[in-house]
Amino acid sequence: MSDTSSTFSESWHRIASEHPALRPDIRIQRQRHRGELGYVLSHPYSHQFFRIGPEAHEVVARLDGRRTVEELWQECLERHPETAPGQEAVIQLLGQLYRANLLQYRGAADTEELLRRGEASRRQILRSRLANILFAQIPLVDPDRFLVRTLPVVGPLFSRWGALLWVLVVGWGMFTAIGQADALRDQAQGLLAPDNLVLLYASMIGLKILHELGHAYCCRRFGGEVHAMGVMLMLFTPMPYVDATAAWGFRERWKRVLVGGAGMIVELAVAAVAVAVWSRTAPGVVHAIAYNVMFVASVSTLVFNLNPLLRFDGYYILSDLLGIPNLAARAQLQLRVMVERTLFGVVGETGPAKTPGEAWALAAYALGSGVYRVVVFGGLLLLLSDRFFSLGLALAAIAAVVWALTPLVRLGLHLATSPRLNRRRLRATGVTALLAGGVLTVLAMVPRPHHFRAPGLVESQHWSAMHTGIDGELVRWLAQPGERVGAGQPIAELRNTELDLRERAARAELEETEARIRQALQEAIPNLKPLESVRDSIRARLEQLERDRARLVVLSPHEGVWSLPNPEEIRGRWLSRGSPLGTVIDDRGFRFRAVVPQEEADRLFASPSGHAEVRLRGDSGRVLGIRDLQILPADRQQLPSAALGWLGGGSVAVSTSDPEGRAALEPFFEVRAPLTAPEGLSLRQGRSGVIRFDLPDEPLLRRWIRSLRQLLQRRHQV
Amino acid sequence: MNTPTDLQRQRFRRPLRPLPRGLDAWADAWIGRHRRRRKIGMEFRVAAESVDRFHLRFRTLEDAQLRERISELREAVRRGGHPGRSALTEALAAIRESARRRLGLHPVLEQLQGALALNAGCLIEMATGEGKTLTAALTAIVWAWSGRPCHVVTVNDYLVERDARDLAPLYRDCGLEVAWVTGPMSSEERRRAYGADITYVTSKEVAADFLRDTLRDSRGQARGPAVLRGLHAALVDEADSVLIDEAVTPLILSAPKAHPGLTATVLHARDLASELVRDVHYGVDTARRELRLTDAGEEAVARMGGGLSGLWRSPERRGEWIRQALVAREFYQPGRQYVVLDRQIVIVDEATGRPMPQRSWRQGLHQAIEAKEGLELTPPTETLARISFQRFFRLYGRLAGMSGTCRETAAELWHVYRLPVLPIPTHRPSQRRQGADRVFPRSKDRWESVIDEIRSVHATGRPILVGTRSVAASEEVAARLEEAGLPFQLLNAVHHREEARVIARAGERDRITIATNMAGRGTDIRLGPDVALLGGLHVIATERHGSGRVDRQLFGRSARQGDPGSSVAWASLEDELLRQNLPHPLLEALSGALSHRLPLADFAAVWAIRLAQWRSEREGRRRREAVVHADQWIEESLAFTEGDGND
Repeated sequence: MSDTSSTFSESWHRIASEHPALRPDIRIQRQRHRGELGYVLSHPYSHQFFRIGPEAHEVVARLDGRRTVEELWQECLERHPETAPGQEAVIQLLGQLYRANLLQYRGAADTEELLRRGEASRRQILRSRLANILFAQIPLVDPDRFLVRTLPVVGPLFSRWGALLWVLVVGWGMFTAIGQADALRDQAQGLLAPDNLVLLYASMIGLKILHELGHAYCCRRFGGEVHAMGVMLMLFTPMPYVDATAAWGFRERWKRVLVGGAGMIVELAVAAVAVAVWSRTAPGVVHAIAYNVMFVASVSTLVFNLNPLLRFDGYYILSDLLGIPNLAARAQLQLRVMVERTLFGVVGETGPAKTPGEAWALAAYALGSGVYRVVVFGGLLLLLSDRFFSLGLALAAIAAVVWALTPLVRLGLHLATSPRLNRRRLRATGVTALLAGGVLTVLAMVPRPHHFRAPGLVESQHWSAMHTGIDGELVRWLAQPGERVGAGQPIAELRNTELDLRERAARAELEETEARIRQALQEAIPNLKPLESVRDSIRARLEQLERDRARLVVLSPHEGVWSLPNPEEIRGRWLSRGSPLGTVIDDRGFRFRAVVPQEEADRLFASPSGHAEVRLRGDSGRVLGIRDLQILPADRQQLPSAALGWLGGGSVAVSTSDPEGRAALEPFFEVRAPLTAPEGLSLRQGRSGVIRFDLPDEPLLRRWIRSLRQLLQRRHQV
Repeated sequence: MNTPTDLQRQRFRRPLRPLPRGLDAWADAWIGRHRRRRKIGMEFRVAAESVDRFHLRFRTLEDAQLRERISELREAVRRGGHPGRSALTEALAAIRESARRRLGLHPVLEQLQGALALNAGCLIEMATGEGKTLTAALTAIVWAWSGRPCHVVTVNDYLVERDARDLAPLYRDCGLEVAWVTGPMSSEERRRAYGADITYVTSKEVAADFLRDTLRDSRGQARGPAVLRGLHAALVDEADSVLIDEAVTPLILSAPKAHPGLTATVLHARDLASELVRDVHYGVDTARRELRLTDAGEEAVARMGGGLSGLWRSPERRGEWIRQALVAREFYQPGRQYVVLDRQIVIVDEATGRPMPQRSWRQGLHQAIEAKEGLELTPPTETLARISFQRFFRLYGRLAGMSGTCRETAAELWHVYRLPVLPIPTHRPSQRRQGADRVFPRSKDRWESVIDEIRSVHATGRPILVGTRSVAASEEVAARLEEAGLPFQLLNAVHHREEARVIARAGERDRITIATNMAGRGTDIRLGPDVALLGGLHVIATERHGSGRVDRQLFGRSARQGDPGSSVAWASLEDELLRQNLPHPLLEALSGALSHRLPLADFAAVWAIRLAQWRSEREGRRRREAVVHADQWIEESLAFTEGDGND
């Protein structure tokens, strides 16, 4: 409460003649953190831990119930004059011990105060549960006896031989995985497919149970009792958890670290086994489960569990390795102190760090973990809300309260009431307001360059598909694929013997009819007329046949490059009329056809700056400038190419029921723009790319608000 | 004969509930606001009018008949425990009549209203001169009739004795015994005084007696029986002073206790501290009375290890001792904060200039100052018991109070003591003319202007009361008046009795009285003959106080009970209030604006003073809050020990 460094205290008389003792069931463990001695008082039943420094330990060790507080303080002063705490510090220490229920004392306790304390601690638990509602823990069973009974079976695994076995198994698994890296990667695409989600979740639960058992056995193996196991609702997704906090009381650091890492050790072993199963099974349920298990056990372990930025295993391990208990809290404190010192000019407090380097590291950790947490859980929330709208909305509300509102309110209260800021309040409030105002102004007022991207593909402005105009056998090619052809240049020659025969028959018929005409001139004038009409029709047929024959030579309709994927395959084949004979693409003018989703179209229409850039896939280093944009003002549903849709590997959502994979789920607008090929880049028909539209500069805030609205509109039809 | 019930009654104290925190405190504040809503005052007014209707019935009674009636009513009240409404109404009417006959004072409607509000546990705000003392007596009688001892708490021994003596005839007439407790009394005398039905006492005395009783309890009966008879009821006069201003420091009972090594340590610290140079080894913030070691200073302290006792060898301790030696050197000047009498340090109250023997500064500091003066070091004192006034007054079963000015602190009074503040209107409308503040950039100009004002008002014959914030300031005014050849009375460092006499005569024609703000509290300034025609008493505040309440008290000394009067305040930008509470650049700017007579400069200066007062009051509130919090922490964390009277 008051200055802890003062030698004398006005409240000393309250405790000077008391003989408090430490409760006999309290265990004191010596620990060394970063070369500094510390002591942990642990309570075997309530699983509470209380850390004290060596100076405080000098006092605590003398709390034997015989000495009065005055006597033991004098004793401390005599024995350790350099480090003995002042009266105020002794009072603080005893007060804390009493509040942590670690003291035994004569005389009746203040029952009312005890009750009040119990009530307050119950309320505190409830409050922390509420604050942690996104990670609520519900203890279900006490696994201790089960663990003790099964330890003889499992225990030997936590040994030198077990470690060797683990190294072998994991090594083998990694070896297999590297060998089949391609297949592994391919299957990853289907991981979040709807039909795999149930399996994925089931594998995850099974795996996490093993993970938690790993902690539990490891802790039990080293003698820590494990009394709670249950369900943690992580973002309302049930996950198993186990309470292995007994490990904090271990004296050796490696044991604490090992208990922390036991879950991941188990998971990696399981992942190795899963790789083996996966590689030896054909596609099916077992195969899929093996894949899921392997994925969860390796990737999630590395991203979540090992990552010290989130408060999972990795955090506790790091905190232990660094010897900074309560790393996150200290890092936050350090950050706050640094902010207050540099920005608000608060003097006097230096924070928990001992060196400037450590101070920066702690502050960076606090910043990093904060940002990381918001990003990861923000992403998870978005993912969840995508699937379950109302749940997502509820979660988002909770997250907004926990991560946005609470810190803001706290900041406000801190600025308004913190006694540390007493004489800097004006400056602190001013600086904060200035910073917040500055950020807001920049976001809301300063226009920032603004683009958006849309997928599309390259298309010649002028191209035609060649077809046979008539049935026939392809005799030979008159041009080579890829060759530049002129307008009217023959490309292929067909032979159609039937055509020849029909021509010959027609000619014979014509001769016959002409003969009969001559005969009729002499013998029967009245027959002349019908015969002449017959002759005309035969002539017409002949002309038609002539034309058909001409079609046997396929001509290029215009100048361009003729291309056909497999010309040799169809040589000598009979081609019915309308069979494709490749395309002639005029390579002098290309254009880009882009597909702009509806929601972006508005911005596109609103801002006809007409400037855009195209980057082609596979050549994204090169930027193709575009000048005249042509926006087709009606929305469409059919994609220009299946390559743009999901099924073809593109980014536009398409209906799965469309066999061609071209029916877009949402209507889009098409944008066309002429392309000019720069030096050294050959434009090819159908090459896909991305177009980036430059929009007029716009403040970020307005953009974010719009995206949020669009998100809500799209995802939730609000 | 002591029955268990008697013993229980003699130890009575109300069990303490912790103060509400967080949202509870917020809700509680709203309840408080409800409890002091305006309508409440009207209810008491109506009740007071019904008391007034008994007026004639008692007027016609013989003295003996009245006494008989009073004793009947007393029985009714005693039997009923808490007097019912009708019994109360009649009882008050009877007491009123008795007051008229015995004291020659006839309580007016407003006083009756106040008495009823007090009885209901309110903190009433009555303007100076409206008769708070008599109002309290009315309620004290009713409370004491219940058979439980009633304490009337006020600020100083003089008022304790005066009020008890003055009101004794009334109390006797009502069948009650009155007594008072003052500083020099022995514990036997005290026990007898507390044995009376009504006891007048200062807050410090009664809290100290309470602590001594607790100590006796915890150490067996060896030092004699308890002095108090339980904390049943207290009426606090000058409540703002007792409950707010004095509550900044808890009351501490201490006894000298030899501490081996301390003397050597303090002397050593003094010697070493003399090597440290101001602004090199340490920085001094005069305005805030803060001292901080610079890095160079810390280094120097770190080098001064070696030798001596355990109190010295720890670097942390060492720093503390040296800092204390420096504080003693920089902030404590003989003649201002203390005087040396008979080779002993005597603390001087800075506000009144009154020496306060038997008081000492906190452990170590007192010795450091003695070391500085080269005196023999007294043994350090050991705290035997400690209680904050916030805590002490909450132990009373019934608590009520009155004050001239407490509106400003209504929220705090409710939060801590659960006292709703209720303003009682003045009997006659106030005729005070309050002049606008006159602000000067320099202190010197201010004094000249004050002297000019005194001279011109004095020429009209009106009496003048010059209020100063500190003894030094009052001496400054005195010197200047002497120079100007004006006659004056200077009040400081004299005893309450003379103080009251001087103050009481301050209303006579042609009088000029200089007094610190605190001097002569509780004494009425009656106007001399014809003075009302001249315009009444003129009050000059030469400097704004840290709290607006104290200013209002000073102004309230003029124009009492519907008399004419006027008051005006001076200030300079060099005043401590402004220098401590406003940023330096703002003062510079204001000073420039004032000396160039820019438009609105005066207006801005008045607002600056208000801001400074607000900040200074907030600082005070914070310090009191800290006392309460520290108290609460100690109680909760050290609940395993025997408390200072909470069990």
